[in-house]
Order: sequence, then C-alpha cells, then structure tokens
Amino acid sequence: MSAKSPILSIRNLSVAYDGVDGFLEVVSDVSLDLVGGEALGLVGESGSGKSTLALQCLGYQHPRARVLQGKVFLQGKDLLNLGFEELSRIRGKTVSFVPQNPTTALNPAKRIGQLFTELLLHHGVVRSNHVAAKRTTDLLSQVGLPDPNQMIRRYPHELSGGQQQRVCIALALACSPDLVVLDEPTTGLDVTTQEQIIGLLVRLRQQLGLSMLYVTHDLALLSQIADRVAVMYAGQIIEVAPTVKLFKEPLHPYTRGLIASVPHFLSANSKIGARPLQGLLRRADLPDGCRFSTRCEHVTDLCMDTRQRLEATSTDHYVACHRWNHIKVTFNEEKKSERVIRQKAEAILKIEELTVTYHRSGSSIINYFRTPTAPAVHNVSFQIRRGGIFALVGESGSGKSTIAKSISGIQPLDGGKIIFQGSLITASIGARPKNLRKEIQYVFQNPDASLNPRIKISEIIGRQIEILNDCGRDEIGERVMIALDDVRLDRSYAKRYPDELSGGERQRVAIARALIVNPSLLLCDEILSGLDVSVQANVLDLLRRLVLKKDVSMLFISHDIAVVRGLADDVGVLYDGCLVEMGTNEEIFSAPFHPYTEMLMKAVPKLNKKPLFDNDSHQITPSEAKKVGCAFCGRCSKKIGEICEVTPPPWRLFGQSLYIRCHHEGEELKMVPDQK
Amino acid sequence: MKISLVGDAAITKSNSWRVRYARMWRESPRSFRIGFMILLFWVVVAIVGPFLAPFGPTQIGTGIPLSGASWEHPFGIDQLGRDVFSRVIHGAHIVLLLSISATLCGLVIGSFLGLLSGYIGGWLDEIIMRVSEAMISIPFLILAMLIVAVAGPQWSGNPILVIVAVAIVYIPRTTRLARAASLDIITKDYITIARLRGEPSLSVVRREMLPNATGVLLVEFATRAGFAPVLIGSLGFLGFGMRPPTPEWGLMISEYRELIFLSPVTLAGPGISLATLVVGLNLCTEGLARMLGRSGEGVSA
Amino acid sequence: MLILRMLLSRVLLSIVTLFIVSLIIFSMVELLPGDVVSRMHGRMVTDEQRAIIRAALNLDTPALERYLRWLGQIVRLDFGTTLALNRPINEVLGPKISNTLILAALSFVLYLPMSLIPASIQAIRRDGVVDQGISVVTLILLSTPDFLLATLLLLTFVVFFPLLPAMSIVDHVSTFWEWVRALILPAVTLSLVMSVYAIRFLRDGLIEVLDSDYIRMAELNGLSRRTILWRHALPNALIPTLNVTALNVAYLMGGVVIVEKVVGFPGFGSLTIDAMLMLDVPLIEATVLIAASVYIFANLLADIGAILLNPRLRTMTASK
Repeated sequence: MSAKSPILSIRNLSVAYDGVDGFLEVVSDVSLDLVGGEALGLVGESGSGKSTLALQCLGYQHPRARVLQGKVFLQGKDLLNLGFEELSRIRGKTVSFVPQNPTTALNPAKRIGQLFTELLLHHGVVRSNHVAAKRTTDLLSQVGLPDPNQMIRRYPHELSGGQQQRVCIALALACSPDLVVLDEPTTGLDVTTQEQIIGLLVRLRQQLGLSMLYVTHDLALLSQIADRVAVMYAGQIIEVAPTVKLFKEPLHPYTRGLIASVPHFLSANSKIGARPLQGLLRRADLPDGCRFSTRCEHVTDLCMDTRQRLEATSTDHYVACHRWNHIKVTFNEEKKSERVIRQKAEAILKIEELTVTYHRSGSSIINYFRTPTAPAVHNVSFQIRRGGIFALVGESGSGKSTIAKSISGIQPLDGGKIIFQGSLITASIGARPKNLRKEIQYVFQNPDASLNPRIKISEIIGRQIEILNDCGRDEIGERVMIALDDVRLDRSYAKRYPDELSGGERQRVAIARALIVNPSLLLCDEILSGLDVSVQANVLDLLRRLVLKKDVSMLFISHDIAVVRGLADDVGVLYDGCLVEMGTNEEIFSAPFHPYTEMLMKAVPKLNKKPLFDNDSHQITPSEAKKVGCAFCGRCSKKIGEICEVTPPPWRLFGQSLYIRCHHEGEELKMVPDQK
Repeated sequence: MKISLVGDAAITKSNSWRVRYARMWRESPRSFRIGFMILLFWVVVAIVGPFLAPFGPTQIGTGIPLSGASWEHPFGIDQLGRDVFSRVIHGAHIVLLLSISATLCGLVIGSFLGLLSGYIGGWLDEIIMRVSEAMISIPFLILAMLIVAVAGPQWSGNPILVIVAVAIVYIPRTTRLARAASLDIITKDYITIARLRGEPSLSVVRREMLPNATGVLLVEFATRAGFAPVLIGSLGFLGFGMRPPTPEWGLMISEYRELIFLSPVTLAGPGISLATLVVGLNLCTEGLARMLGRSGEGVSA
Repeated sequence: MLILRMLLSRVLLSIVTLFIVSLIIFSMVELLPGDVVSRMHGRMVTDEQRAIIRAALNLDTPALERYLRWLGQIVRLDFGTTLALNRPINEVLGPKISNTLILAALSFVLYLPMSLIPASIQAIRRDGVVDQGISVVTLILLSTPDFLLATLLLLTFVVFFPLLPAMSIVDHVSTFWEWVRALILPAVTLSLVMSVYAIRFLRDGLIEVLDSDYIRMAELNGLSRRTILWRHALPNALIPTLNVTALNVAYLMGGVVIVEKVVGFPGFGSLTIDAMLMLDVPLIEATVLIAASVYIFANLLADIGAILLNPRLRTMTASK
C-alpha cells in the first residue's frame, strides 16, 4: 500500500465552550490524521471532548462554542475558513454524520422518503424525484431494512431504534461521501441491535471502502471495527495506536485503566496489569501539566507541571506520557470472594403466585378509555432464607422492581400472597403496622433520586429511626454517627448535603439509612447500576460485610451477572414478569441453563450499559399478552414449536434444587460454548 | 479549595446549594438588578413618602384645578384641587401592600393544596384538579369582579375584599402549578422512602416536597406579584376596588381619564407609576427565573 | 380507534369542567351565607323592591331546585330574564356577543403577524442586539396595564392626533366606516397586549425547535438555511403557537371587558361589567358562564389541534 495523503487532517485544534461556569476548554491542541480507507476510533469518557472534536470534522460547532486555534483540513480545504454556503455543499456530500440518537435526529413530521429526496436533490446527486426514490430504496436495502418501498412512506416514530439508526446510516451514505463521522451510533440501542449495527458497518466498510471516524466511550466495541484507535482524555489525545496493539500493550496509565475497567466474566484476560480507573473527570479542576495526574497512580511532580505531548514509541504507536517506559507491569490477582455457604435455614419471606398488572396514572376519566396492558409480573413464587441473599436477575422491564415494590408495600397486588416471618402481610403500606414497616427496608438504584437534596445527611438518616423506632432526640444523633461509621463515611458527613457527595457515597448513605433501623429484610434494587465500575466493588464489599454483621436477609435485584455470582446464595432469573430459572448460586451458573439464562451469560460484558433486547419495539404476540405459553418463546433460539406458544412450560428439577421452566428435557439445555 | 482523593471521588466543599444561591446573587443578570432597584425605590417611597409628600392625599385647595404641570405640582392638580403628585406617593403603599399580601395568601394556600394534591393522588387529587381547572376557566378579571359583586355593598371599598378577591383568583392557578411541580418530585425515591416509613402526608409535603419546589414557587410568586398591581388597578379602574377618595392608582387613572382633554398630565402620574412598578416587578421575575434556571443548565461535550 | 378515544375523553373532560363551573357560579352567587338580595343589594333597595326581586329569582324555592332549573334552561340555551330590564337575556346577549366577536376576530387577525414576525426575528438572531431590543420593548408594553394602554392610545389618537372617535359607540345603524373607526382602537389595544404576551412564548418555542437534534442533523447534512427554516423548523413550531393562542383566548375574555369599557364599545364585556354593577343576578350568572365556556371551548380546540397535529398519533395502532 502506498502512502496516501490523509483525507482528514486536524492541526492544533482547540475549542472552548462559553458555559455556565465560565470558559471551558473542551478540545485542547489536538492533532490527528486519517487516511483514505481507514477506520479511526476515537475513545474517551463523557466530558473528554470527543463529540466536539467529531463535529469539528464537519466544520460544525455548538452555538456557544468557539474555536480558539487550529485548522481542520478535509481533502485539503480548511473547514474553519469556509462560510456557511460552502460548508453546506461539503456537509452530507464529502463528509457525513451518523448521530448518537437517531430518534431525535429524524424530523418527526417528515416521512423517511422525503428526508432522502431532499438530501439527494440538494446535493445534485439525482435530478428528479423518480430517480431519488429509486436510489432511496437501493440505499435502504443496502443497510438491511426490509421492504424499502413501504419504508419510504413511513414516519420515523413508526420505526424501532435500530431501524432508525439504519436510516441515519443510509442518509450518511446517500451521496457517497469520502468520510463518515459516527458519534456513538449504538449508545442508545440494546445489545442485540448493537451487534447488528456493528455488523452492518463492518460489512459496508468492506463493500464500499469507507473511511470512518468512529467516536465511542466503549473501548471493547472498537476492537471489532477500528484499524487505529486514538484515546482522548479531558480534551487531549493521550495515545494513538493500531487497535490490536493498543489492546495488547496499552502504554498510557489512563488507557490501561480503561481496559481494566471493562468487567470480564467468562474470559480470563487480566494481564493488563492495572486496576480499574479511580476517581472522576472534573473539568473545573484540571492541573496545568498532564491532565490525568490527579487520578494517576504513577504520578510524579513532573507530571503535574509539564504538559505531556504525543511521542512516538514505535512507528505507529504514540503516547503522551513521559513515564510510559517506567511503569511496572504487575499482575493482579482476582480476589476470590469468600462466601459463607449457609445452612438450609427457614424462609423469612415467601412469595406465592405474585401477579401485578400495571395501571397507568393520569386522570381517571382519561384512563377509562385506555386498553389494559399485559401483566407486569405473572405468577411468581420464590423464597428467601433467613440470613441469606437472594438475587433476582433480569433486564429492565422484567418486573423485578415491581416484585420488590410489592414486598415493600407500595405496589398493590392483583393476585398472590406475601408471607413474611410466617404471617401473611398486606401489600399496602398504609395498612401495615409500624413494626412491620421497620422490618423491611429498601435501597434504590439511583443515588441522585434517593436522597432529598435539600436535607442534611444527618436528618436523612435520622428521620428513619425518628419515625420508626421512637427514639429520643439525643439518641438519634448518636445512632446516626454509628451508622456513618458502619458505612465507612467520615462523621463530618452528617452536616453535609447530598450534592456534596459522590454517587458511591450517596449510595452508602442510602444503605446506612436502611440499616439503621435494624430491619430483618433488605430490598436492594439495582443499587450498583448507577455507579461507576470502579466504585461498585467498594459498595458491594461494604454491603456484604454489613449484611453479615447485622444478620439481615436480602433480596438483591440486578442485571449484572458478574456481581450476582460473587454475592448471592440463591438466584432467580426473571424474564418479562415470569420466573424461568431458580436455584442456588452454583447450580444457576453451571449447566443446564434455561435458554434465556444462557443468552444473558453470553452477553455479560456489555450488559452493564445496555439491555439485551429493545423491549419497546417488540410487538407483543397475543399469546405473550395473555401469558398462555412460555414467556420467552418469541425470542428463544431453542424453541421447539407450537407447544412453546400454547402450553405453559412445566418446572423441571435438576440436581438438588435447580428449577428450570422449559419444555426441553435437559440435554438441549447445556450451553453451547462461544468463540468470542 | 481542598481536593482530597477519598476512595471514589474528589470532594470539593464549595458546591452546596446554599453557597450556590449566594453566588447567584453576585452574578445575577443585569435585568434582575435593575428590577430590584426599581422595586426598592417604590418600597422606600411607600414607607417614607407619606411623611415627606408636600400635600395630603385628600387635601383640596392646593392650587388652581387642572392647571397643568409645574415645579410645585409635577403631575398637576386634579379637578378637585388636589395635588396629583402627593396622591401618587400616598397611594404607593396601598398598591404594594395589597399586591404583596394578596399574592402571598394565594401562593401559600395554593402551594400547599397543589403539593398535597399531587402527593396523595387518587380521588382527592382529581377533585382538587377539576375544581381548580373550573375556577381557572373563569377569566381572572371577571372572577374578581364576581367576588366583589357577590360580597355585597357592606364590603365595598374594603381592602380586605380586594385581597380576598385577588387571592381567590390566584389560588387555583398556583395549585395547578404546585401540583405539576409535585408530579416530578413524587417520582423521586426519597418520597417513596417517606411513604414507606408511614410518615403523615402533611409532614411529607412540608419537609420533603416544599424545599424542592421553592425555585418554581418563587418564580411563580414573583410573576403573580408582578401582575397583582395590574389586577388591583383594573378593579379600581372599573369601580370594583377601593372607593374614592382613596388614592389607589387604578382608581385615579379612571378618575383622571375624563380629564384627558383638559389636563392630560394628571393621568401621567398614576399611569407612569403603575407602569414602572410593574416593569420593576417583571424584571425581577425574569431575572429570578433565569438565575434559578441557570443552576441546572449545562453544556455537554 | 385510539384517536377517537382520546378526543372523546378530552370532550368529556371539558363537559365535566363546564358543569363544575356552573356549580361554582351558582353557589357563589346564591349560596353564600345571608339572603341573596340583602347581601348583594344591602340597603339600596326598599322592602317592596326586595319582595319583587325575590319573586323574580324564585328565592323561596330550595336551592337545589333552583340550580337544576337553571341548568335545564342553560342546556336549552335559555339564559333567563334580566332583572334590570325585564327582558329575556338571550335578546340582550345576541347583539352584544356578535359585536364582541367581530372585535375579537379583528384583534386576532392583527395579533398573528404582530407576534409571529418579531418572535421569528428574535429566534433567528438570537442574543443579538435586535433580539434584546425587542425584548425590552416587549417588556415595557407587557408591564403596562391594558386599561392604561387603551387610555394612552386614546390619548394619542383622539387628543393629540384626532383621527379616531372618542367613544366607540356603534349600533345597527352605523355605517361600515364608522364601525371600522370604532373598532381600531380596541382591536389594536387587544392585539398589542396579546402579542407581547405571546412573543416570549413563541420565541422560546421557536428556539427550542431550532435547537433540536433534527435541525442540527439537517444542517449537518448540508441543507441550506432557507430549507432548514421553512421546511423543517416552522412546521414543528405550530404546536407551541397553538398553545399560546389558547392562552391568549383566555386573556381575551378578560381583556375585552376592560377595553370595551374604556372605549365604550357595546359588547359582551361592557354587558358583563354592567351586570355586575347593577347586581343583576341572572345576567351575572349568564355572562360569567358564557365567558368560562368560551375559555373551555378554546382550550378544547387547542388540545384537539395538538392531538391531530402530532404525527405520532396519526399512525398509531391499537397495540401501543
């Protein structure tokens, strides 16, 4: 391959925002080249400036942004020097853009066909509507959309997220551009659709020889699609290397931290030699020298003062860190989590045939005219052992939160029983006596929403015992302090307000609030999902210790299989409101598996950020709506046939206590190993 | 500003919302400051004016009636021989007191009703909303006039009646706003926690919900307070407010309208005063809204 | 069909609201403590007059019966008889309402360009000198009470530049030109007040549309400024326009009252004031109810418009 002159050449670009807190430099002296036919990945956390940089490749900036210095050469022309007229000739034709959110990027008032026709005519690619329509249908088939002739007449909201994104990709390809810029195109999509879109992009690249600038925060994604990767941190490019090399030998401490932060489950790839990233990017407090120094574990004084520049460590590997050669590579050991295997204790909580149908809120007069929806939870039964941890695993929309809410008393039941400590309890919090309310406590998912921002920490925690335990004023103060100690927060936190705390700290306060009343049952609803990966381990560890110390039983709801594996005694797998598999920790995570459980396990590394299926676009089949057959049959890869749709599958016992709900016998339920 | 790395975050102390409010005043937009100055001006006039005004509000014989503007009588003399300038000054505290108290009543009652309604939900919420909507359907001026008319002649001219009328006009509107704000708040988990511990509803509204709605309610207060002088002035203008010879500005505008051909400057007195007062209030409101909106604004990279 | 259901529920809601309004009006007038006549007329009537009024209002029958009878009449669009003139209200209402309708229509026609043009200019030249200038002017006009504004316009165009008549009194014998001259002052006042109110909302609504992702996308696809504005932005700005206009109708009902009084225009507003001043109970009840129903109806139309304009609903199937 002869050396090509780059299609895109960015030189010393700096962009700043005129924002709330003053002038903020978002892109800082960035230089980058992209040659024809190459796919360059641009990776960074939110706040790194990657989207701003991407938009600059089209000569576009946010109304409040200003270019401080630099040039952006596209096919030799400096975009920053061109007027709107000239830019409008280039945009969409020479360089095009695929947005992050396809739903809002498509004009809701226009049909799909109109969007294409307008574009094609404007850029002179076609001269008549008729030819435009033909080209549109060609493009739509090329991106894998079914029935293009029908599609042309549709409105954007009639399409699923994945289909909308395909339309956006087709629009980007319509005028055969030299460069396509993609800004996190799969962030809003579920795992399954993401795989499909990535596959499409890879295919299109091969067919058309596209040059791409692919922006994302998901490093793992780039391994599939990018030739080279540039890593961005706080507005600066800190490392550039071919993809394979970057993954094998990351040099910059930040890159190492990024790679180590991606949780691995089935594959043991922990030879990176780094711990997951600590801390957060705070744009307002950046040091003068290397911007990563506040979070770097190899930092020296020189790092804080001198700005690091990209230097070549080999022909194609550049890094902006003067210590890259000095950092020792240490192997980290996977900490074996110790779990005490509990004896068979009696059940503290028994759920029998729980059923909940969701009703929407709003004026009851308007509700009169709405059709009822399918049940959110359907005939779920399980038990939680005293002192044990029961994990309920499922994706969002599977009904796990609903179950927790029913247990706590804020979600009325449409069927079934809840038996707590041997007696039947109502599902209505208003009817429960005070000592029962004290026994069951809840910790929520979102640390921002679970603490009242206008109330001090001491009062947030103290109010629980004030109301539920009838404590005196002075006793409350002392017990709040003890509670803070328990969750490893400094006692000075009592006087603070929630917005002075980080997400992990807030979650710890929520835990302290729940445990201060000494409950018997703790309901944890996805409590780690709102936290950074690096923080999750801390909170989890804390929780484990406290639960042991206070002898509390726990219902732990999560979609994160890795976490569940390390924490739970018993596990239940939930799909669309129905339990499909139930058993102890070991039994669940070894064969045989329910087909859904198997799917979950394979998708594990990505599940932290997005769901497995896009539930909104899935048309509910009649049998699913009435919950007649198996809930999963619509998506099951091991579906037998009509029996799955019509007959509810029986519970089958495997081993000592593993229950799987399927028509299959056992042989078919062993997992097929994956080549990933 | 100390930065300490504690496990999972750098904590900076200067970010609490109280500190933020203090910073907001220092950085408030120009519009707010101008409005505030105007408001301050009128408050001073209202308090000190009556002692410093050259003539009394009902004092006749101050000069030749309808003689036009002059140094002793900047706004002229009305048909009864009263100095308009002094009357305007004496009327300042009336308009301010009536406006503020009426708005305050309306706001306080409306906020509680709205927040409570949103929190409790169910049929209570439904009833409150339907009744509020119904009352809002009656145009505010017509509703105010209705209240005054229905009260009868023994209440005529009584400032309490004016306050009650304006408050009743404002209550359903504030209720609707507070309820809308509450809908957002009750989705938050800390409200659910309060519910789960069985805390009484009024307590939840007061302790958990109200502090989170202050921004919205403050802007609402400012907006309504800005319109109150107009409403009260309109009532006075039409004869449904205070009775003569009270120097209420709306009433004065109505009285001097007939003098338009003979001595138009008399109209300028209460007219300019009322207009500037409302401008001041509106500027404050706008500035306030922008300041409180600003704290949540952000630009993403 | 989902749309039909939604529309039906909105209509039902409006009817319920109207019903509650009638209840409120009736109870305020006739159910407050104290005898209706004594309370409202006080010592202004003699005893025999009081007896006559009581008979005319049927005050000796129980309240519920009175209310239901009134309701029954209303549904048949019979508003009863005025006390003061002893004529059927419908007769009196007819001409006044049509007068006011003409005034309102004219005001509306003037208001649309008066608000849309400045708002569009502001949205396009955001944060510029023009934008801020328009905002200042708008603020000042907004802060001027409508009766003051009307009076000032009166001052300008009747006293200083005598172009218009001092009183806008017209009747069925007035000529077309007399009508026009009479209507200009109140119509301009009303449309001015409505415009300054609407401009701020429209500006914000337009800016929101201009900031949306699909507009940005259109720009990134290289479309021209004119195409973006006319073919992408404006059509999506209809909905906020509709909302604001509905609010303005609410204002109109109240504003019309005062403006008519200032210029002496014989319309519905003047009638309402006179009814209140004369304490003419049936007339009061009738006029307030009509005013409220206009507001409710306008809101209903705006809601229906929003539903029909929403592209999501045009194609929804029953499963969602």
